[in-house]
Amino acid sequence: MVALVIVAHSAKLAEGVRELAAQMTQGRVPIFAAGGVDDDILGTNAERIRAALEAALASGEQVLVLMDLGSALLSTRMAIDLLPEEQRPRVRLSQAPLVEGAVVAAVEASIGKDVDEIEASAVEAARMPKVV
Amino acid sequence: MQKVIVTLTNRVGLHARPAALFVQTAARFRSNVTVRSLTRDTPPVNAKAILSVMTLGAEQGHELELMAEGPDEAEAIAALKELIESRFGEE
Repeated sequence: MVALVIVAHSAKLAEGVRELAAQMTQGRVPIFAAGGVDDDILGTNAERIRAALEAALASGEQVLVLMDLGSALLSTRMAIDLLPEEQRPRVRLSQAPLVEGAVVAAVEASIGKDVDEIEASAVEAARMPKVV
Repeated sequence: MQKVIVTLTNRVGLHARPAALFVQTAARFRSNVTVRSLTRDTPPVNAKAILSVMTLGAEQGHELELMAEGPDEAEAIAALKELIESRFGEE
């Protein structure tokens, strides 16, 4: 099973994306939110992300991290550097957009797809027509 | 090969949670399962891939053709038909 980590500049945004993805999969996929510098300050926090990564690594063989913008990437890379070295290869950073990517990744993870297939679908979600 | 035509009667069509349930149900079976929209005249897409299912643009009232081929094709078709006809437990 692949677990997901949601990194966003707002704790509410990260939690909201987690909630949405979890509802789509009836809680079958482990999803952890790491948003905000703390609950009130916008930004990203490597320590929060590290805690979410550890929880995800404890519940999935592979972890896919979905991020919102800018420094989310920097903080996530810092968080990965805080992990034991042997665990780092189990974490993959997604190129996908946050909301569409998280929803698609969660559904694909819920049916047991591997991390490469999940990432490919999540990235492809960016091209899905929204207005039909 | 098993084939059936069903009409989507749930409110949101094959989007969001219903699409997820559809894909998860299809994935329980070993058979290859495809779905196409007769209403939009789309080609068949993999029923076990969320993105393919979402891009069908299947809405309430649309007709879908489900096809399954494999060792449990009849069960797969029956389960998906039942899911759609029960309106995904929505209403």
